[in-house]
Parts: sequence; structure tokens; C-alpha cells
Amino acid sequence: VTPKRLYLTAFFALGWLLAIGVAFQLGLASAVASAYRRAASKLDWISQRASDAEGAALTRVRQNSRRDYLEPMRPVLQSVDALKNPPKILFGAYDGGFPNNTTGFTTLESQLRYRFPIISFYSAWGDKPDQQFPLRMVETIDRLGSVPLITWEPWVTDFDSRARTNLPSKTDREYGSLAAIAKGEYDFYVSPWAEAAAQFRKPIFLRFAHEMNDPYRYPWGPQNGNRPDDFIAAWRRVHDIFQKKGATNVIWVWSPHISMPWFEYYYPGDHVVDWVGIGILNYGNVASWSRWWSLHQILDKAYPTLSKFNKPMMVVELGTLANGGDMLAWYQQAFYQLEHTYGRIRSVIFFNQRADVTMSAYPLNWTIGQDPRAAEFVAKELARLSAQ
Amino acid sequence: MSLKRAWADDSEIFRHRRAAPIRMWERVLIAVLIFLAIQSAVYFGAWWFQARNVSSPALFVLLSIATWYGIFRMFVGWYNLFHIEHPEPVEPPEGLSVAIFTTSSPGEPYAMFARTLAAAREIRYPHTTYLLDDTRDPRFAALAEEMGAVHLELVGYPGAKAGKINEALKRTNEDFILVLDPDHIPFPEFLDRVLGYFSRESVGFVQVAQAYHNPDESFVARAAAEQTYTFYGPIMQGMHGTGTSVAIGANCTFRRTALESIGGHGIGLAEDLVTSIRLHAGGWESVYVPEIVSRGLVPSDLGSFLKQQLKWSRGVHDVLFHEYPKAFLRLSLHQKVSYFMIGSYYLVGLTSLIYFSIPLLYLWIGEQPAAMILAEYLEHAIPLALLGLVIYRFSQRWLCDPARERGWHWRGTLLKIGAWNVFLRGLWLALRGIEVPYIPTAKERKFGEFWRLSRMPLTVIVLSALTVGIVIYRRLFILDETLVRITTEATWAMAGFLIINSIFMSGRLWAAWQDREHREPEE
Repeated sequence: VTPKRLYLTAFFALGWLLAIGVAFQLGLASAVASAYRRAASKLDWISQRASDAEGAALTRVRQNSRRDYLEPMRPVLQSVDALKNPPKILFGAYDGGFPNNTTGFTTLESQLRYRFPIISFYSAWGDKPDQQFPLRMVETIDRLGSVPLITWEPWVTDFDSRARTNLPSKTDREYGSLAAIAKGEYDFYVSPWAEAAAQFRKPIFLRFAHEMNDPYRYPWGPQNGNRPDDFIAAWRRVHDIFQKKGATNVIWVWSPHISMPWFEYYYPGDHVVDWVGIGILNYGNVASWSRWWSLHQILDKAYPTLSKFNKPMMVVELGTLANGGDMLAWYQQAFYQLEHTYGRIRSVIFFNQRADVTMSAYPLNWTIGQDPRAAEFVAKELARLSAQ
Repeated sequence: MSLKRAWADDSEIFRHRRAAPIRMWERVLIAVLIFLAIQSAVYFGAWWFQARNVSSPALFVLLSIATWYGIFRMFVGWYNLFHIEHPEPVEPPEGLSVAIFTTSSPGEPYAMFARTLAAAREIRYPHTTYLLDDTRDPRFAALAEEMGAVHLELVGYPGAKAGKINEALKRTNEDFILVLDPDHIPFPEFLDRVLGYFSRESVGFVQVAQAYHNPDESFVARAAAEQTYTFYGPIMQGMHGTGTSVAIGANCTFRRTALESIGGHGIGLAEDLVTSIRLHAGGWESVYVPEIVSRGLVPSDLGSFLKQQLKWSRGVHDVLFHEYPKAFLRLSLHQKVSYFMIGSYYLVGLTSLIYFSIPLLYLWIGEQPAAMILAEYLEHAIPLALLGLVIYRFSQRWLCDPARERGWHWRGTLLKIGAWNVFLRGLWLALRGIEVPYIPTAKERKFGEFWRLSRMPLTVIVLSALTVGIVIYRRLFILDETLVRITTEATWAMAGFLIINSIFMSGRLWAAWQDREHREPEE
């Protein structure tokens, strides 16, 4: 055996090994993934039954379950039509720890002596298992007696380039992503999601591609060449798919950033929007661009424009930091204004994030409970408003 | 005549066997499988070590150690497998002087020696058999004479078996010594299959496979035998290929000058391992012959099995802590790795403890090591697990007696996990330097110790049941409803692990149950 021949043999053997290896990993991984997908519905079914059994036992041994507490609201919470035009203000909450850590959420509810009819959470687009339709989460929320509100974020770069060969590379994908959605390039993801949502059957609030007019925040913003027309076309296409899949249980929340100009040009149309969502977050003095702003100061300018759409309004994120002002006074003023000035607001979701790091270098605390006086005031207001 | 009939069993099990040869395509396939397995491990590792998988950092570190310790052992096993070699049989020259040493201790059954000595007499290559006896039982001296063996009365030498061997070395002068365990029945071709290798002057000892004739006797016997099949099959053959094959107590043939160069046979609970590490450190080579040329007894009751395991765990840890560092610099690289792997084998007691604790910790204090998504875990772990199993089964073609030994070896696995606390105890005794008295492995079944032997598995099972009971109570009456409804899956998955742990324990429980009532030991 000459050294050259040995070298050649080794070279080709290595090449074959690598080829076999790559084929093996890809083949087996996708086989396992597809087998799992087939088994997943059975796994879901098992965990549903387990959870149902546990829930039944729970209501039998306990006097006041959360579901019982919300029972008087059942007719509203079960009806898509009633939820599109609720007789009373619907309150809800988002908690950053939920669902991995329920302490924040349960603390909030016990501090406010209230059980929220709406529970809000965020769900991103992508290929990972936890980026598919969050069936377990919405089922759990339903069992707790509430209605889920899903903020649905089109992070298009979370799709695997290997498996999605029709998509441009990750670096090119964000630019013009809304137009791509409108063209149907992401139907492969939207369709099964819509189908799963339809199978859930019970009402879901869906807030798709929120703050689409803010060029400083999300990749689906105008900084990536996403024009208002693109957004409208994407929205309509997604809405259309949901209709075709029979997901009429989905309630559509269009939610622009109201402090940014021209949001009204992003409105997709009366026939595809059920609610207008707005964010009211007072950052106090934590950043150079922020000051202690009341709900009124944040909302006042945009409110007339928002009113023109003639849809019920939802404060999808309501919260204030403690930095730079008095939380009690802020909530007192906010509740007064909600009741007397901003009658179109028919739903309010508290933003109960204990450690928010999305906008700052250090964690921001949005919880009401950090100021017991403010919490006590909000508790009394919730009791008063729900007794009306 | 009557004695001859008692042992001269010509049934098929007492016939000579040699592991199947290794063909080129098998080597290539093994190489490809190992390549894929290593790639799968990298694939799994790249996914495993991500911050988003971590829940409680301290527990994650523990779980990672347990998991990757196991994977690391698999790696070394594959490397070893890649080096499988079978020595070419060598015809021994005539006229070598050979001794067979077999030892007897008080309490060991007479009939066993009758059988072994009669079989030793039938070994074809000319030899002298010595009975190294401290029973003070006149029947043994008479038996030796009847069987044409030399009786050496060796009472009061410290170091039990090895002590007697060393004393016998002084009183004899044969060049080659086969140390034959008294429960082993040698076949006539035994010496013909091993002596030829000594024609290479550097060979210090030749080990043959250990096989058993009583695995069908009980669940424990089957399990204990299953634990040895792979070792005497592909593992030792790979060790032969890397020059690291070790001496295993019974059926090892030594060159006298090799033993004398290290001051005689090693002493201790793992005296065989001590001897071979010293011989390797002294530059002697070893040969492993993948052939069955004798069959012995494997422990058939749980008590003897666990005693044996404790002895080995204590002894092997001792070698790791004391002999290994002394020999380290004089060992070859392969030997350094190999003795470390043997020395750390019983750390599996520690990793079992980690695996057992994880569901309990979650259900008691709500801490869990990892926040992994099941689908992702399966996607990344299954290729590695699958390849591990494929390689395991593929390598079974080199078992010494594949027809009997092939299989999933689930009994052996159950009992290995079931012995975890014994392994831990061995580690603890070695760390504290507490001696375990030399316990000869029992050659008869012992009964009536159900409660003593099932204490540990029952504790685990009762603790699991109690934990599940408390969890149900707390979830129904105490915990916040939101928390209950959110944690359904996680909680019952962890409770499922408790059930799996209990199933693992049930193997040992079953073994103890089988031994619960006294039966007459078979002669």
C-alpha cells in the first residue's frame, strides 16, 4: 500500500462518512420530529384527560374554585358575539412569570381580591414546538374559567432555513416580511395554527403583529420596508386563512403604537377588526425619552382618531412604574378617566411584569402590588365596577 | 468411578467455544456506526448545553454530570470496540511445567471440590494440580490424593486467597500457574488454549473468558450472568486490542517470573485487578483469549450477589484511589484510560442517586434541573440512544457463546440499578478507608433474608408512594388553583418518573421475594 493510495482511500472514506452522517442526522431528526408530531395529539389528549380528572376532583373538594368565581360572567365569556361588544368592562392581566411561575399572577389576583376574565400572554412565530399553537396554555386558561388573549408576533427569523427552503436566508428575511406574509409565503405556518385555533372552538382574543407602526421596536415595523399597505394585506390574508379554516372563535385585536404617527393608515378594515388595542405604559423617569405621563397624557391626542374606527377599545397593556411619581395617584386618575372620559374603552389588561428588560438595561417593575395603596385602590375599583 | 460420573457432564454447555472472528465489513460497519454515534452525541450535546434548558442551575449541573458521565463511558466503550482483536491461537510447546492452584476455605462445599479437582485431572496438557487448603478438614486432603492433586495445608496466612497463593508460590517451582476458582469446571483443552501465548517472553498473564453453567438457576443468577456477557465478549476483546486486558480472579494463567517481579499475587478485595495493574506497570503484556474453556457458578441468591458487588465496589475503588496513582506514570496511555474506566465503573451508584432524587426534589420543593421541551429532547436524544442500542446489539456477535448470551440483558440492568446503594456503600467504605472483611462469594443459595435484602427497594417504593399521596393531597386541598392547573403535566410527568424508579427497584424486590423461603441447597 503506497502512501498516496492510503491517503486517497482515507480521503474518500472520510467523505463518505460525512455524507452518511449528514444524511443520517437529517433523516432521523425529521423522522423523529414527524413521529412526535403524530404522537403529540395523543399526548395532548392524555394530558387533557388527566387535567380534566384533576379539575373535576378539585371542584368537588373545594368550595370556591376560580371557575366558580367567574361563573356569573360565563354567558359573556363563552360567546364570541358578547366578547366583541361586552356589556361591562372586561378586565384581564398579563404576568411575566406565567405560566412557568404562577406566583406573580396568583399574588396579583389575591392582592386585588379579583379573578381576571382575560389572561394575556405572548406567542412568537417559528418552527420550535413551543412556537406552535399554544393549545395547552389556552386549555389551561379555559379551565381556570378565563378567556385567553394571545399577542401573536411574526418573528420570521425563527423559521429553520434547512427545513424552509422556500424562504430567503435569515438575514434577508426580515426586510419586507409583511409583504411576504401577504404573498402567502408563511401560509405553511399560519394555516395549521388557524386550524388548531378553530379546533379549540372557545373564544380567543388574537392581537397580531402589534405596534406595526413603530420603527424602533419589532422587525415587522416600517424600518424593514414594511409599508402600511403591506401590513393591511398581510392582516387580511391571515384573517382570510382563519375564516377558511373555520376559526370564527378568534376575536381580532388591531393594536398600533398610538404615540407614533400615522397609525391610522395601518387599519386593515372594519370587516376584519373586532377591537382596537392600545398600550398605556408610563415609564416615569427611567429613560431620557420618557416622563411621568398619566393615562390621559398618553391617550388624549390619539383618542379622537381611534374613535373614528367605531370599534370597542382595549387597553392591552396598562401599567406604571414607581419611578418618578405616585402610583396611587396615577391609578386614581386612570380609573377616573376610563370611566368618565374614555367610554369607548371596554377592556383593560394589567401589565404585571415584575422584571421587564425589553426596554432598559436593568429590570423594570410594572407590578401594582409594589405599592399596597395603589393595589388597594385598584381592588376597590374592580369590585365596584364589576358590581355595577 | 462414581465421582467421575458426577462431574463428567458431556452436555453441550460444557463444550469449548470461541468468539466469532472479526471480518472486514464488520469493522467498517462498526466504524461507520461509531462515527454516527459520536456525531449524534455532538448533536445532543450542542442542544443540551443551552442556557434556556436550565431551570435550577445546581440541579442542572448534577443532571448533566450524571448524563454525560454515562455518555462519556459509552464513548470510551465505542473506542474500545473499534480496537477489537482476537489473538491467533498458538500451539504450546511440549514440556512446559505448569501448576494449577485452587483454593479452599472453611464452609465451602466438598462436592464442588470433587467436581473441580476431577475436571482438573482431565486437563490434557501435563500439569500438577495443587489444592491450597485451610479447611482443616481431613476429607479435603483425602480428596486431593484421590484426584491426583497435591494437598498443601496452608492455614493462617493473611490475605485469604491471595495469601495462600503467595505461600504456595514459595513451595512450588512450576513456570506457569493457572489460578482456578474452585467453583469452575475446566474443560480438557484449557491449558492447550492458553500456554502457547507465553512463547512471547513479554507476556505476563493470559486470561480466558469466564462463563457459567447455572444462569438458569434463578432470576439473580441470570441477571448476574447477563452483567458479565458483554465484558467477556466485545469489551475484553477490545481491551486485548489496546493491550489493556486485565486479570479476573478466576481462570488467569500467570508466568511465575512475572508474579515474582511484583512480589507475588496482589492482596485485597480486588486482588485480581491489583495484580494486573502491577504487572502492566511492570511492563508485562497480557493476552485475552475469547474462549470458554471452563464454566463456573454465578451467585444465584440476592444476598451473595450483593455481597459480591459490595466487595468489588470497595475493592475497585481502592484500586482507583491507591494502586492507580502509584502505577499511573508507568502505564501506557490506553492502560491509563482503561484502569480509570474500570476504577470509576461503580460510580454509577452516585449517578443513580442523582436520577432517583430529581423527581423527588421537584415534588417536594418544586425545584427541577431542566426546563426542556419534550419534543426537542426526544429529537436530539433519540439518535444517540438508538445508535447506542444498535452498536450494543451489533457487538453481541462477538460474545463467546452468542446463542446463550445474546439479548437485551434487562435482568442484569434491573439488578445493576437495584444495587446502586451497595455501590455507593463500597465507595463510602473506600473513601473512609474502612475494611470490608474478605467475604468469599457464596457458592450456594441463601434464603430467608427477605426483609434485610428488600429494605432499600421497599424504602424507595414506599417513599415514592408516600410522595405521590402527599402531592395529591396538597393539590386537592392546599395549593393555589392556578398553580395546580398550570402544573398538571409537569407534576404527573415527575410522578411518572417515580413510578419508573419503583419499577427499577422491583427487580431487586422480586429477587429478594424469590429467596424468601428456605429451600434445601442443591448438591
